[in-house]
Amino acid sequence: MSFALILAAAEDFQPQHEFELPAWVPIHLGPIDMSINKAVVYLWVGALVTIFLGIWIMRFGLSLRPSRRQTTGESLYELIQGQIAEGNLPSKAIGRWFPYVASLFLFIWILNLVGFVPLPISSEKFELFGLELPTWGIYAATANLSVTLGLALITFIATHVEGIRYNGAVRYFKSWIPAGVPKPLLGLIVPLEVISQFMRLISLSVRLFANMLAGHMLILVMIGLIFIFSSYAIAVIAIPVAVAVYIFEVAIVVTIQAFVFALLSAIYIGGAIEPEH
Amino acid sequence: MTTLFAALDGNVADLGKAIAFGVGVGLGAVGAGIGIGNIFGSMIQAVARQPELRGELTGIQWLGFALTEAVVFYALLGGLLAYVLV
Repeated sequence: MSFALILAAAEDFQPQHEFELPAWVPIHLGPIDMSINKAVVYLWVGALVTIFLGIWIMRFGLSLRPSRRQTTGESLYELIQGQIAEGNLPSKAIGRWFPYVASLFLFIWILNLVGFVPLPISSEKFELFGLELPTWGIYAATANLSVTLGLALITFIATHVEGIRYNGAVRYFKSWIPAGVPKPLLGLIVPLEVISQFMRLISLSVRLFANMLAGHMLILVMIGLIFIFSSYAIAVIAIPVAVAVYIFEVAIVVTIQAFVFALLSAIYIGGAIEPEH
Repeated sequence: MTTLFAALDGNVADLGKAIAFGVGVGLGAVGAGIGIGNIFGSMIQAVARQPELRGELTGIQWLGFALTEAVVFYALLGGLLAYVLV
């Protein structure tokens, strides 16, 4: 195979198009771009599935002898209550913030899972018996920094609002500085602590975003190798690797990332409400 | 994608960027690999000594796993940024 052929095939195949978001319904509010695109549609799908999952699991047919559906719901509740909320949120705030943490976990989990189900939501078309249909593809809304940053911002704002509400502004901001720091070091410690508060925002959003992006990119690159080298011999190696990555992502990463996002949110909010633990 | 084959054209700048990206992410992965190995090793030791604490330790274990694993992705993002911007 000549190199020119490889190059021609590589020009033809543009995997980065998966991450482009053309506006389907352009909405511009002044300088703010609120256009509806693929990520927004995926967010709607995720929100709908989350709502219906909650209603279907917990809203009817509950009995003392639980069915399988009810057992699933109860074990989900126990996981969130026992692992995420109980040790990290103080008991006076658990009633207020448990629903937030639980919906955060469920919503991110569903969004991540939906990202691995092939859905016909795409602007690219293919023809079947003369009909123009959208191509089926996988895309995760959480593999988009705007989505994860939005979720992290809610936690960030909630943390500081709750910290000020429960402790008062002065006591709360004083609690950022570790106790027993000598006066001359304050000029060094205070900027560091302020920066670390903002680093939380970055690490919380980038962790989820980069995890999902890297998972999708790995699968894409593996499948893409077949097209780049335009040889089916590559498929013998590439497809098993892609399948292995897919299984690893769906079985482990998807749940862990949702769990960690909710857990860290609970820790941050709990830590702000009761600074001296 | 064409930068993958930059070496064939003699485009050395792109080739350098590709190597830097690969080496950077690889080194990031080394650090996270050591860290994740440490976490699971400690978890095995802890459960072997005190099996009754397993439930409490699992949550902490996954938190530590995710915090460590994220380091690779900071390296990946930094690499991508350098790759695109430089």
